[in-house]
Amino acid sequence: MPKTNLIGAYIAAILVMLIFTLPIIWMFMGAFKTPVDIYSIPPIWWPDFSYLENFKTLLAENWSFLLNSVIITLGATVLCMIFALPCAFGLVNFQFKGNNFLADWILSTRMMPPIAAAVPLFMIFNGMGMLDTHFALIIVYAGFNLPFAVWVAMSFFRNLPKEIIEAARIEGCTWFQTFWQVALPLTKSGIATVSTFVFIFAWNELLLALFLTSNEAKTFPVVISTFSTITRTYWEFVSAATVIQVLPPIIFTLIMQRHIVSGLTMGAVKNG
Amino acid sequence: MGQIELQNVMKSFGSVDVIKDISLDIKDGEFVVFVGPSGCGKSTLLRMISGLETMSSGTVGIAGRDVTDAQPSDRQIAMVFQSYALFPHISVRDNVAFGLKIAGLPKDEIDAKVAKASEILGLEKLLDRKPRELSGGQQQRVAIGRAIVREPAVFLFDEPLSNLDAALRVQMRIELIKLHASLDATMIYVTHDQVEAMTMADRIVVLRDGRVEQFDTPVELYDRPDNVFVSGFIGSPKMNFVPAKPGANGSVVVADKVAKNIPGASEDKMASSMTLGIRPEHITYSHDGGDWEGTVTVEEQLGSDAFLYVDVPELGQITVRAVGERSFNRGDTIFLSFDPERCHLFDADEQRVN
Repeated sequence: MPKTNLIGAYIAAILVMLIFTLPIIWMFMGAFKTPVDIYSIPPIWWPDFSYLENFKTLLAENWSFLLNSVIITLGATVLCMIFALPCAFGLVNFQFKGNNFLADWILSTRMMPPIAAAVPLFMIFNGMGMLDTHFALIIVYAGFNLPFAVWVAMSFFRNLPKEIIEAARIEGCTWFQTFWQVALPLTKSGIATVSTFVFIFAWNELLLALFLTSNEAKTFPVVISTFSTITRTYWEFVSAATVIQVLPPIIFTLIMQRHIVSGLTMGAVKNG
Repeated sequence: MGQIELQNVMKSFGSVDVIKDISLDIKDGEFVVFVGPSGCGKSTLLRMISGLETMSSGTVGIAGRDVTDAQPSDRQIAMVFQSYALFPHISVRDNVAFGLKIAGLPKDEIDAKVAKASEILGLEKLLDRKPRELSGGQQQRVAIGRAIVREPAVFLFDEPLSNLDAALRVQMRIELIKLHASLDATMIYVTHDQVEAMTMADRIVVLRDGRVEQFDTPVELYDRPDNVFVSGFIGSPKMNFVPAKPGANGSVVVADKVAKNIPGASEDKMASSMTLGIRPEHITYSHDGGDWEGTVTVEEQLGSDAFLYVDVPELGQITVRAVGERSFNRGDTIFLSFDPERCHLFDADEQRVN
């Protein structure tokens, strides 16, 4: 590539990157500013990073909601995996009449907008006395992510060499042992990928949490939304809360990234 | 006891019949090879014995027990796959011990069996490695180790050597023959390579289009093939086929020119249109004279043998195997004669007559 073209490409890349990162950088800066600094003109570009009052105040009043978010998100991720992985394994490995239809049907449920389910879910959980409980949100988040999780997990199980599954069965494994001892360890990367997506969805979900919780099981995104009131928006708290909100997905993704490696099945079967 | 009985076994995928009514009786301790061209159903038949493939009809018995509806794990079998199918996430030791652990054997017993199998196959130094750290030949050994350690009644091999290079294939072939002799177990081996079939088998099942064409010893298949297909499939270079008709006094007239009396070919069995088969090594050749005159078009010199491809106007191309021959070159005139004692005669339905 000629040098001028390369410079142009770099400038374009930096511009696009700035469009995406500037709001995040601005939000990050805002978390360390006083209310006065936030509205000061000219703007304060470089805040005092030792100023942690926003975080202290925020966490002192809302730590229980943060804990709710952690419990619900982890619970939903685990529950979703518990159902999605065996389901995907079965759909890939068991030949029965209508298994393709069943897989399509599972995916089709993903097409329903969450808002369409919000009111019925409210009615159901209200009737069962489960409104504003952790378990209600765990079920809902796991359920909403199941179609996606099943489909992605199916693609990973489908990529497993058929002979490996057959070898396990010949060696005396039951279907469950084949799933547990052979298929799961070989699809670690897939499981890491799926669970990361489910985690991020559940962690960031706002709409259903607004409908189904009020206080006991209120999640952190709902808390953030309350900083914007009729009279004013508390930008310092919104910023601080958003910094806290984005940290767990980043940490979770970094942890999982170690496992999201290709070539885990290398050496499994000889090709060609 | 590892005898296998297949009775009227059939397999259809939709409207396509892949295996068409096969019945076989394989004796305990026998090394049987399924051989045939691609798509003949040999792997499907093996998978039906293993239980990995369901049957449309028929029964399978292993070691005197009807296992038609049994899971693969309940059939006392071990299988070695073409792709080896090792478990990549565990060590060689754990791969070999996998089935024993699943069966819940005590650890010291597992260790003893793994040590014994490793010794037989020379795997001792590889036990702590992962499969991806091994060469193709070593991976194949591990796959065989995983099979023998469980001491099954029957071993099933699905083209296990086809991914190895030629030299390693020959070496592994010899090792498998030795292994069969030492284990004295029933083995079924699928291959499309007739050399493997001929060198390893006690008996060979030749398959075509889901049917058994012949089930016999390698020598019998070579010396007395039942039909044109088996004649052409077994032997390399393949048998020569020329048109033949009944002649006077029970003789057979080849290409309307030369009449010969073929032993065992009685007049009542002959048809108006027949095929005469003669193997390349059973053709006599000369510079001076013979029944057929032709021209050498290609000479493949192997040192020990030479394969001469001869264009005979009345017969088409004839392949001649000439042992230690150096005197013929491309373009030379050559005279050929067929030894009637070694000829195979087939009727219009391609079935053996003599």
